[in-house]
Amino acid sequence: MNALMKIKSCTWIYWALVFLTLITYVISRAGYSGLTVSLSVLVIALFKGQLIGNHFMGLSRVRGPWRWVIFIWLFIPGSLIVTAFTLAS
Amino acid sequence: MGRRCITAADLFLPAIIGCSLQINVLPPNMTDSTQIRRYPPGDLAIWIFIIAELLVFGIFFASYAFARANNVELFNTYQLTLDRQSALLNTLLLITSSYFVVRAILSIQADNSQHCIRWLLAAMAMGLMFIVVKSVEFAHHLGAGISLSTNTFYMFYLSLTFFHFLHVILGMVILTTLAIKTRQGAYSATQHDGIESGASYWHMVDLVWLILFPLVYVMR
Repeated sequence: MNALMKIKSCTWIYWALVFLTLITYVISRAGYSGLTVSLSVLVIALFKGQLIGNHFMGLSRVRGPWRWVIFIWLFIPGSLIVTAFTLAS
Repeated sequence: MGRRCITAADLFLPAIIGCSLQINVLPPNMTDSTQIRRYPPGDLAIWIFIIAELLVFGIFFASYAFARANNVELFNTYQLTLDRQSALLNTLLLITSSYFVVRAILSIQADNSQHCIRWLLAAMAMGLMFIVVKSVEFAHHLGAGISLSTNTFYMFYLSLTFFHFLHVILGMVILTTLAIKTRQGAYSATQHDGIESGASYWHMVDLVWLILFPLVYVMR
């Protein structure tokens, strides 16, 4: 991948992150609440986190256990948050 | 290739002082970022530090969620007192800052240190704006007499956001050091482990906020 392609790729990721953030904010401003909405917002956040890990931190170009560091971190607290919100609903 | 033992200084200060463990499987003169590597970009020590930080934040997030499960009404009520527009602005500032840091890395990989410095300065400007916006938010809360002991929600909100705020400040110190060292010619297309370490730390600060924002400000 040449330099221009790399710039284009990370720029697309950046706009995807902005777009997903705005979706989260719109959901918040619209006053939506409840378990389904909360978990959807959480899934968006976890996906954004994985984009950061893969494309900004460069883990998509790493092989072996280090590649999964961010995924595992997102998965464990994410699962606990899902459990807690499910219990509370 | 060329590994050496990790010292305490390596563990906590590699990005700041710009030291560099040779951890990549590639030879030092082959640092093409598109090649598959065994270890993540930057020093292994900074990644151990990042994992430790992420563990702490992960425990914080889970604690918040389970504390909320026992006080749903309280958390939902006081969550509405938070400034979601500021939180949105702060999220966009950190995402943009992270993007600028990526561009700084791509610039140094292209051996263009002048562009690298400009991108780092732009990232620092975003970080500084985050600090200003968050400080205004903290001042507003403190002015309203809100403290850690006000209630459980504010205890979590203030401690979580202030803990993250301290990480942003440390990240700013790291970015400043990286900009100075880049200006001094410490990094090049073939040697940029130090700047990648600092960048990884800054992305971690962004990553944590990406979870903190919906969890504390939006999910109800």
